[in-house]
Amino acid sequence: MTAVVEVSNLSKRFGQFTAVDGASFSIEENTIHGLLGRNGAGKTTLMQLITGQDFATGGSIRLFGESPVENSRALANVCFVKESQKYPDDFKPRHVLKSAPWFFPEWDAAFAERLVADFRLPLNRRIKKLSRGQLSAIGVIVGLASRAPLTFFDEPYLGLDAVARQTFYDRLLEDYADHPRTVVLSTHLIDEVSNLLERVIVVDEGRIIIDSSSDDLRGSAVTVAGPRAAVDTFVAGREVLHREQLGGLSSATVGRLSEADRTAAARAGLELAPVSLQQLIVRTTTSDTEWSQAS
Amino acid sequence: MTTATLAGSAHRARPAAQNRILSVFRLHFVNVSTTIVVPWMIMAFIFLVNLAIWAVIFSSVTSAADRADVEEGLTWSGSSFFVFAYMTVVAVQAINLTFPFAQGYSVTRRDFYLGTALAFVSLSAFYAAGLTVLSLIEDATGGWGFHGHMFTSVYFGVGPWYVRFTLFFVLLLFSFFVGTAFAAVYVRWKANGMIALFAAITVLVVALGALATVTDGWPAVGAWFERNGTNGVILWSLVPTVVAGITGYLVLRRATPRN
Repeated sequence: MTAVVEVSNLSKRFGQFTAVDGASFSIEENTIHGLLGRNGAGKTTLMQLITGQDFATGGSIRLFGESPVENSRALANVCFVKESQKYPDDFKPRHVLKSAPWFFPEWDAAFAERLVADFRLPLNRRIKKLSRGQLSAIGVIVGLASRAPLTFFDEPYLGLDAVARQTFYDRLLEDYADHPRTVVLSTHLIDEVSNLLERVIVVDEGRIIIDSSSDDLRGSAVTVAGPRAAVDTFVAGREVLHREQLGGLSSATVGRLSEADRTAAARAGLELAPVSLQQLIVRTTTSDTEWSQAS
Repeated sequence: MTTATLAGSAHRARPAAQNRILSVFRLHFVNVSTTIVVPWMIMAFIFLVNLAIWAVIFSSVTSAADRADVEEGLTWSGSSFFVFAYMTVVAVQAINLTFPFAQGYSVTRRDFYLGTALAFVSLSAFYAAGLTVLSLIEDATGGWGFHGHMFTSVYFGVGPWYVRFTLFFVLLLFSFFVGTAFAAVYVRWKANGMIALFAAITVLVVALGALATVTDGWPAVGAWFERNGTNGVILWSLVPTVVAGITGYLVLRRATPRN
């Protein structure tokens, strides 16, 4: 595996507040990553640090092997689509689409045109006057059509309806298949994107708490359900991530199970169900106890 | 940490990237309405209004003495001042909005600043040339037939064409880069930065005033202005312009746009 970004022991403080706390991870070439976590977890700050928009307090970042800060050569490979992207006051979408190719040498104008039709983006209206969804559509179009070797999408689809979001996922996957590149998707809609993601990085309170392939992560926890007594017996001695009870029935989420464990569970009359990525992340980021790295 | 190797930036054949300073320069002109079309439209509107006023005045003033009076008065025209204020606003918008926008295109602060400064110098030259030509036409047509003055006021627009051009150019540069420096402070430190900056400027002005008073230096200050004349004072504005230009860069170099 080749890494396009290597982050080690990175930290960023704003006064007393620690936004990023000793983060170490890498972003692999030609892979779709999910950068997940709650609001204020430090996702945007991490991406701003990697793209040289913000300055680290400590640690190191290598972007295509170089420091990103004020580094034209390394940054020329990067497109960063932000939810809160600002545009010049007098800009219309067509001005964005006209100027983007000057900054992204791999810009595909035909693809951009198709996306404009897909998202029904009015090209000749002032950006100030666009709806939230249309504003997001501009960012999504720039992120996809720029075909930058490394593209960050930070909550790219605020205000986009379900159809438009599906269009985004479909176009991303199609284009990614034809033009492999590295994508980092930061989002709250974990279940919607879980099939897209090949790697998952979860941030909580500025720390990386999960850094794993999504396949590994999905297998890393199982929900065991059945009569309370049987569940209690089965989970005894295991780390329980989450527990729910309803009358005499109980369910518990535990870590990875071996084949023998699964057989034993079946014999005890327990049902095993996979845990969705979203549930897994909700459970690991709500408890105070820290979840050991899943990989 | 993984043991992954790092990919060099030249890991695949890519189309040659454009010079990003020039791309930023072009970015300021992708929509010409704000920087070129609207200012000339405002200028045309003010000009037409002036023309109407001059016509009214000269049709109502009949005695030769009064006419001479009016002609003298018209030279004190501030009709084209808006251009300078307008360009300050253009600079503020460029730093406040185009800068965060360019960051999304992964432009470095250095490339952004150089491309933007290049755009401002070019716009200054463009408008200075336009104003100079108009001032020459104003002279040649006897003030558009009404002894009017819009581009040849007493403040600038007198003397040979190259003096006029230089004065317009230098004043425009001042307008752009002062706007740039103020906006850079705002982008970096937001409202607190502006408050601190205005407080600092106030203290500085009061301190200089006090210094002049205490040392009985006001006559010398007056003499300096007299000695330099309008043209000299305008040329001296290059000093604050350069200071603002450098300060703007130093402030923006460590700025991160936030919401």
